[in-house]
Amino acid sequence: MLRAQSILTMLAASALLILVGLPVLFILLQAVFPDFARGSLGGAFSKLAMLTENDRLLMQARNTLILAFSVMLGCLILGLPIGVLRGLFHIPGARIWDVVFLIPFLIPPFIAAIAWMMTLQPRGYLFQLVGFDLGRFLFSFTGVAFVMTLNLFPLVYFAVSRALEMVGGRFASAARVHGARPLQAFVLITLPLSIPAIAASLLIVFAMSIEEFGTPAALAARTGFEVLVTGIYTRLSDWPIDLSGAALGSVMLMAMVLAAFTLQNWIATRRSYISQTGKPTDLEKAELGVWRWPVLALFTLVALIGVVIPLAAISVTSFMGTISGGLAWSNLDTRHYEPIFRSGSRAAQALLTSGWLAVLTAFATAVIGGLVAYIVVCGTGRGRAVMDGLSVLPNAIPAIVLAVGLILAWNSPFLPLTLYGTAGILLIAYIGILLPYPIRYAVARLRQISGSLDDAARVAGATQMHALRHITLPLMAPSLIAAMMLVFAIASRELVASIMLAPAGMRTVGTFVFSQFEQGSVQTGMAMSMIAITITSGILLLVNLWLARQGRSAFSG
Amino acid sequence: MLRTTAFAATLGLIGGLAHADTLTFYTAGPGGLADALAEAFQAETGITVNVFQGTTGQVMARLEAEETNPQADVVVSASWGSARDMHARGLLMDYLSPNAEDVPDFLKHSHYVAQGISALAMVWNMQSDAPRPAEWADLTDEAYRDLITMPDPAQSGSAFDLIAGLEAAMGDEVWDLLAALAANDMIVPGPNAAALNPVLQGAKAVVFGAVDYISYAQAAGGETIEVIVPESGTVIAPRPMMILQSTANPDAARAFVDFVLSDAGQELVAATWMMPARTDVAGLRPGISDLNVIEVDEDAVAARRDEIIARFSATVTNR
Repeated sequence: MLRAQSILTMLAASALLILVGLPVLFILLQAVFPDFARGSLGGAFSKLAMLTENDRLLMQARNTLILAFSVMLGCLILGLPIGVLRGLFHIPGARIWDVVFLIPFLIPPFIAAIAWMMTLQPRGYLFQLVGFDLGRFLFSFTGVAFVMTLNLFPLVYFAVSRALEMVGGRFASAARVHGARPLQAFVLITLPLSIPAIAASLLIVFAMSIEEFGTPAALAARTGFEVLVTGIYTRLSDWPIDLSGAALGSVMLMAMVLAAFTLQNWIATRRSYISQTGKPTDLEKAELGVWRWPVLALFTLVALIGVVIPLAAISVTSFMGTISGGLAWSNLDTRHYEPIFRSGSRAAQALLTSGWLAVLTAFATAVIGGLVAYIVVCGTGRGRAVMDGLSVLPNAIPAIVLAVGLILAWNSPFLPLTLYGTAGILLIAYIGILLPYPIRYAVARLRQISGSLDDAARVAGATQMHALRHITLPLMAPSLIAAMMLVFAIASRELVASIMLAPAGMRTVGTFVFSQFEQGSVQTGMAMSMIAITITSGILLLVNLWLARQGRSAFSG
Repeated sequence: MLRTTAFAATLGLIGGLAHADTLTFYTAGPGGLADALAEAFQAETGITVNVFQGTTGQVMARLEAEETNPQADVVVSASWGSARDMHARGLLMDYLSPNAEDVPDFLKHSHYVAQGISALAMVWNMQSDAPRPAEWADLTDEAYRDLITMPDPAQSGSAFDLIAGLEAAMGDEVWDLLAALAANDMIVPGPNAAALNPVLQGAKAVVFGAVDYISYAQAAGGETIEVIVPESGTVIAPRPMMILQSTANPDAARAFVDFVLSDAGQELVAATWMMPARTDVAGLRPGISDLNVIEVDEDAVAARRDEIIARFSATVTNR
């Protein structure tokens, strides 16, 4: 019985070490040994001087933190109310709203930034439509935080809604029996029980916002606003490049995320958040009644800002003959879609490659992530905290640096056999980058599930594997499924790691779009994005509707 | 069995092995050019060319990360200095193509040769309220207040070369010019594409120091922009093509370089609105002999890179 547990622990630990530990180790080596990539260990630590002599570093670190906290706050403001409503009440079209709020993950951040620029900048679409622009708002710190919030708020929405589904209304009912007012019961009882989920999703938001480069670069570089990742990307943006300096900068980001992780872990474990004890309870959601229309209006408003406007800007741009021609019927043109269908095989190849990569990544991250989460929460032993901490690092490392780490690790001439040079390396990279989602979601979920359920199954004669299979796994499933959708969405358009790691000759949606932008055809890039978003969101919608039919709704709908 | 193999092939699982009939080509944009060259070369020789296309930074980062076990055979970068550097480190193979005869001497070397050339220019939106500029210094005029963008020399090698070139031509006056542009609220939003985009839509009116061929192509596609090369002079950005010393396939690599410098290859280069490297192949736009090219002492400039970028930052971005 104990053996099963230790085999699972071994499996989870080795998966994490290979997928995350290995590239992180090589990044550390590159940070310490400037000539590591050239096969030399000379000049160790010579780059560390960069940390002391650069007086801009402190300013960048402060900006990074202020930005990250602003984005976290923004995500709470935008994601928490709709997440709570979705978790506790019957929302008309709940499944469809879920897919709508997945769309921000289907839009590559640099395209979202360009879409907002083209909408709000002087003479942008807004100006062309109504005669004023919001350039001053957009090209500022506030603008950066605004656009990044719109990219990330669904993380809070999905985490909170899934957590509250499990909490349900019964604790609040108990409080009300004891005389609490409805709002009081919610604020004092129901909401605190979802704290692990909120903290977990905010940790991802934090990691993503300190690592994100495209948005601050596009919107705030002109105002002199610099973040830590600015320095990292500048070192790798043109010749001469500085791998070691970039690696060192990434080490600082990793340190920040580990600090945030420690805080999150303390919040999530200092008391019990168990709400699922196995007591047969009614998890039926409440009806909205007269609030139906105001609630729908709120969902629509959030969707309008977070999804419809950027999507409309992308779509409109893809149909414009020329950018300088502006919004005019005479400028409506489908010619920028032609290269996609003309060079048919190439665009189709990119869609196909991204498609199967995203599917495999979604399943692999769910399996590995579920396993790691199970060991971290339900296992024993000291290594658990290390595993948990290791699993958040990929989100903090800029993708281009992580890719360099993967090349250094997998392209070593000493390996007898390697996945580098095949599509396999992309799969490894995607799984590594996206593992944090299922792990964070599933860990938060497991902290709500009482261990006594597992114990009861074991007393009744089930083996550990049996209990895992029939008790814990079904209870984890809704969170894992939500995380799989996120992973699928992000993997379907991943850009930077794909550019750096794809075998020469292989294309993904992200690299296809990027090379269109590189050639100066903004419209064709937007067109390919539009096609990919349509296909991917269609798939997500079908899967969601199918799940609803399968009766998963007992857990998550 | 056949189906399994085909499936594995689509997954790319059995790709990546070095075959005698495949060549790996790493190149900075434009991506359409790399694909066109690869296809035409394959049609002519039967050798498959696998293309990796990225920015110069991505190409160089990948080359450096792979240095202990190199994967590429032929490389094109957008930065002449990168070729000089790689040659100095002994990474390049000695080869001067016979087709390089009509490439000007200063654009070829025993180990690398220009594939095509771009020039740095001003790009002006004709629909803007600002008048058409003719010279770099015109942009200090009040009429261009808050209407100028410039690529960041820290992120764009060609913008860096422009500052270094103008410094060679104008001396310290270039710093007065840049200070005046900064005082005229010029923005420095990032690499080349980031500087051009606001001008296309009309948020800004002029790019100071744009890579010309991208804008020529867009103007040909109907965008209302004009590429203006100041008569006082500008710098050119030749794109070096080189064969890695480590190539397992030197014959195919040489054949590919020959092909890029052939009539057919140079016409594909010309179709991207770059200047072909060979002077006897006509370009779609003004060529080197039509431009007043400022010569830059590459070695001296490369040594002063950090200093120039710091001074630019102090003068413009963080003044």
